[in-house]
Amino acid sequence: MNDSPRDAAFDAQVLAALPHVVRFARSLAHDEALADDLVQETYLRAYRSWDTFKAGHDARRWLFTICRNVFLRHRERETRVVDTSGEDAELESLAAAVEHGQASRNGLGDMLDRIDVAPAIREALMAVPEVYRTASILVDVEGESYEAAAEVLGVPVGTVRSRLFRARRLLQQLLYTHAIDAGIVRAPQSPSSGGS
Amino acid sequence: MTATNQDSPALLDCEAAVRALYDYLDGRLPDASERAVKHHVEVCQVCASHFQFARRVLDLVPESMPLGGEANGLRARIVASLQAEGYRGASS
Repeated sequence: MNDSPRDAAFDAQVLAALPHVVRFARSLAHDEALADDLVQETYLRAYRSWDTFKAGHDARRWLFTICRNVFLRHRERETRVVDTSGEDAELESLAAAVEHGQASRNGLGDMLDRIDVAPAIREALMAVPEVYRTASILVDVEGESYEAAAEVLGVPVGTVRSRLFRARRLLQQLLYTHAIDAGIVRAPQSPSSGGS
Repeated sequence: MTATNQDSPALLDCEAAVRALYDYLDGRLPDASERAVKHHVEVCQVCASHFQFARRVLDLVPESMPLGGEANGLRARIVASLQAEGYRGASS
């Protein structure tokens, strides 16, 4: 029985977003038990600071921000993340154009019709480094705008844009590799193998 | 990118088109740039294939990541930890 207006508001806005927060946490942490711990800690922090939440703001976005902060704090003891997004953008786009031309000639075009695509995309997305994957999850899965994703991640919109470019390009590369490994598209010939 | 005149779309090479790929698919390009990319994709078969593939993958991403389930009594664990903080909501 709910007899607290404060908790009723928390239920309606915060607990209702639980499935989204679970998905977001699982996209951050490969380990499901760790993801569940992140979610639990996120909700505890959200409840403790619920009085500071501004009415009218997006509770789901607020929860994503808390969840990511919890995750980063958990991880910072173990690794140091170097954000290289935005580097070599011209080389990346040139490489992407060349790679796609080659992949197309090897049968990429109908690949998506020939693989069990949802598990393949999920596996590939989870293999994308977290710093890029999170931008993709927020924009491509949760449907947030670049600006909202920038708010969650605490970075400029331009950084979201470059992280998205990198995430999506890596996703395509990983799908291509998956299709080669599954024998669905032909492996590219190395220069030394010639073809003459 | 080289502008020809005010009425014709600017000419792009493949690298420039691919650099604008996701801004184009996300509808974030200014009108003139959008027209230039659209024109390039109409005349370049490789980029048309590239853009179409990218669009399809992006469309498939959400269904590859279904909303999180609540296995192992996660909601109950959360509610229990909140109750220790004084929570008396409908879930308790």
